[in-house]
Amino acid sequence: MMSLKKAIFSCLLVFGMLNSAHAILPIEKLDTYKGAKVYLVQTKALPMVDIEVSIDAGDRYDPAGKSGLADMTAGLMNYGVRVDKGVLSEAQIADEIADLGASIGLSVGGERAVLRIRSLSRKDLRDRAVQLAAAMLAAPTYDPNILNREKQRTITSLLEAETKPEYVLDRRFKKMVYGTYPLADSPSVQSVGAVATADLVQFHRQFYRGDRMIISIVGDVDQSEANEIIRTLLKRIPQSGPVIAPLPEFQRSPVEGLAQREVQIPFDSQQAHIAMGMTAVTRNNPDYFPLLVGNYVLGGGGFVSRLMNEVRERRGLAYSVSSYFAPGKDTGIFQAGLQTKSDQASVALEVMSDTIAKFIVDGPTPSELTAAKANLMNGYPLRIDNNRKLLDNVSSIVWNDLPLDTMEIWTKQVEAVTLEQVKTAFEKYLAMDRMKVVVLGAQNK
Amino acid sequence: MRFNLPRITFIFLMFAQLSCAIAKDQEDTHEYQLSNGLKLIVREDHRAPTVAHMVWYRAGSMDEVNGRTGLAHVLEHMMFKGTDKVKAGEFSRLVAALGGRENAFTNRDYTAYFQQVEKSKLDEVIKLEADRMSNLNFDDSEFLKEIQVVMEERRLRTEDNPSSLLNESLMATAYMSSPYRHPVVGWMNDLQNMKANDARDWYRSWYKPNNATVVITGDVETKKVLAAVEKYYGSIPAQELPVRKPQLEPPQKGIKQVQVKAPADSAQLTMAWKVPRLEVGKLDDPEPYALELLTAVLDGYDNARLNRVLVKQEKVVNDVGVGYDMISRGPELFEIAATMAKGKTVAQAQASIRKALDELKQKGVLDSELKRIKVRILSEQIYKRDSIFGQAMEIGTTEMAGFSWKDIDYMLEKMQTITPEQVQLVAQKYLVDEGLTIAVLDPQARKSAAKEGR
Repeated sequence: MMSLKKAIFSCLLVFGMLNSAHAILPIEKLDTYKGAKVYLVQTKALPMVDIEVSIDAGDRYDPAGKSGLADMTAGLMNYGVRVDKGVLSEAQIADEIADLGASIGLSVGGERAVLRIRSLSRKDLRDRAVQLAAAMLAAPTYDPNILNREKQRTITSLLEAETKPEYVLDRRFKKMVYGTYPLADSPSVQSVGAVATADLVQFHRQFYRGDRMIISIVGDVDQSEANEIIRTLLKRIPQSGPVIAPLPEFQRSPVEGLAQREVQIPFDSQQAHIAMGMTAVTRNNPDYFPLLVGNYVLGGGGFVSRLMNEVRERRGLAYSVSSYFAPGKDTGIFQAGLQTKSDQASVALEVMSDTIAKFIVDGPTPSELTAAKANLMNGYPLRIDNNRKLLDNVSSIVWNDLPLDTMEIWTKQVEAVTLEQVKTAFEKYLAMDRMKVVVLGAQNK
Repeated sequence: MRFNLPRITFIFLMFAQLSCAIAKDQEDTHEYQLSNGLKLIVREDHRAPTVAHMVWYRAGSMDEVNGRTGLAHVLEHMMFKGTDKVKAGEFSRLVAALGGRENAFTNRDYTAYFQQVEKSKLDEVIKLEADRMSNLNFDDSEFLKEIQVVMEERRLRTEDNPSSLLNESLMATAYMSSPYRHPVVGWMNDLQNMKANDARDWYRSWYKPNNATVVITGDVETKKVLAAVEKYYGSIPAQELPVRKPQLEPPQKGIKQVQVKAPADSAQLTMAWKVPRLEVGKLDDPEPYALELLTAVLDGYDNARLNRVLVKQEKVVNDVGVGYDMISRGPELFEIAATMAKGKTVAQAQASIRKALDELKQKGVLDSELKRIKVRILSEQIYKRDSIFGQAMEIGTTEMAGFSWKDIDYMLEKMQTITPEQVQLVAQKYLVDEGLTIAVLDPQARKSAAKEGR
């Protein structure tokens, strides 16, 4: 009956704390453990917790000819782990996660691999989810039979993707915009086929260690509980490891003639797909806010952006058109894109190019700037109004080395942006004679 | 490391936690009906200073008639094209200036519009949304541009997407008379022949307060919300709605098959059985709940039956998924969809699916399997509270299907009472050839593939 009392108590606690003022919740920095930095936001309203481990082990560390290795290293971590008393199979792991009412997900992006746990915050349930995640992080078995199965599945998916216009476009665009940086290479049938068990083991040993991890926790746990979570999670993780060779410099897209930077890909689809873009800025760039505000006007502001207005509202050329900056920790790109009926590709590309070119030269109008700032500032509460979004924010702040009060000062930084700053920043980082252009499936009349 | 905490404990603990959550729901949610028939549902959730405002019209693609498919969705687009006071495009600009996020979506059962804003901006979006409930007034020229946009949307999401094409053919084959046979976006030829007045007629027929439910969730005071909703929506007159014919689908009398040839690399297979849904007034019918649980037993987690057997052990398919939704206005299908593994045929995949289903029909479902699913359902009830938008969605979809938001918790409790035998029984009764439709994607090479050159 002990458990019943506990459950009822936690119930009262949960619903007794609703009337707190809506100050922005602080990010607490906890003690570094095994070289891993640890951050916590305490939210008590719901009896749940989200835990994220970011590992500096993204696709950019794929060795030449083995694109897909970073993905598979993370992706196979829940398909068998070694524990004190033997091995937990993929079936056992999946059953245990389900039995706990938890979820443990793994994903890999260009810069980092991410493991996320969502669990009810009750200690007994939470502990088991964290123990399971700890085993995945520290001791995946990388069974060769499972690797072969997953390689085959990945290859089948890749062959399917190659029949899809959006995938073929994106792969080519990446190749052009990343140039000599390792993110230029996408996984292929050959590169996935070349990955062996020993590669996974080695990649895991090299990269999955405390000094390459950042942990963010959001939810119904206090500092001491968070510290306990971290100690369990990293129990069998080494603090450090071999030196890792530095990555090549991310080179700015060069000035080139159109013939050098534009590619036409023949493709038999109803719509042409178009991507345009170039290298841009990292998240901690001091010009981040002028670019954010400016891009809202250009192509980030949904139905009210200039691109949407010119391409969709005025001409009915596309269902969706947008532009965005994707600023990372070490790299960053600008990209704009649309899809249109294949015989309209030329006119749509022209409208998009002209709109971007004009914006780089003239910047926004005063009323556009006011509207952009109003949206971003008034809408800020919507960016942080639940645990999942808070975790996304904390994760981005700590990964990109931003100040811990970023959420508190965010609207002030938007407010401070001037017309001149937007114009200067766009002219500084973007240039039409550097833009890569990929047009797939155009059928010009 | 074996987890020795008995599973029953998890269920018990979650029940305890959930029962207080449910009590809280009933206490924080309020329902009103204005004199013009508009229904308002408010859920107070004060965790963050934001609010979601949604209006749901009970008019979806199932209310369309032949030759005018896609009309519900086209009108959704036109709702942004101006009223007497707010000119075309201005709606979005005004919401954007408030810092709002907004959009709309159309389904077979309904059309819904929403804005998410910081709480002090709620009255402004109520005012805007109420305005376009009765004052929509767009030009023919706006219609002519927007219908092009809708055709681009269809090209993007259907014409160039083989899985969508397959699904479209599946629905059109499975149903003979039910309007569920039409795609929500509409057939291309109907879009090409649609006129501005078709959209206006649709608007005048269905966009009435007595056909609408407003759902507001978030950091609000119910009394103030009620006053604002009365103020802005209250004066819109009610109007008799068009007669909805039942258009019940006649019973299927044997297997139907359809093949779609489209550019792809792997073949795809969908098997879809006609199954019951939860009927209004029959909340105690165990079958729909048992079908929901059957879905999860087959596909609810990584080690669920179909993924384990077909993907991991037999390696006959690359991916497999199961779909069923017991809540809807129209008829329901229980669907199993798979993409072939390299070198495997559709016939092999179908045989494996049938074998897995036969085993379940003969030997039943393990108690531990079902408990696992039930735990998952319980924990989801906590997680879903993290999103006020998600809560508004749940209330709206439930109401549109003809149920009350008050039924949601009852349904969840009912789900927990379903036995392994009841799950086995619905598999035996409904996953039979008589009501089966099989759709196969036959992959074709593109005429000009991605041979990249300059």
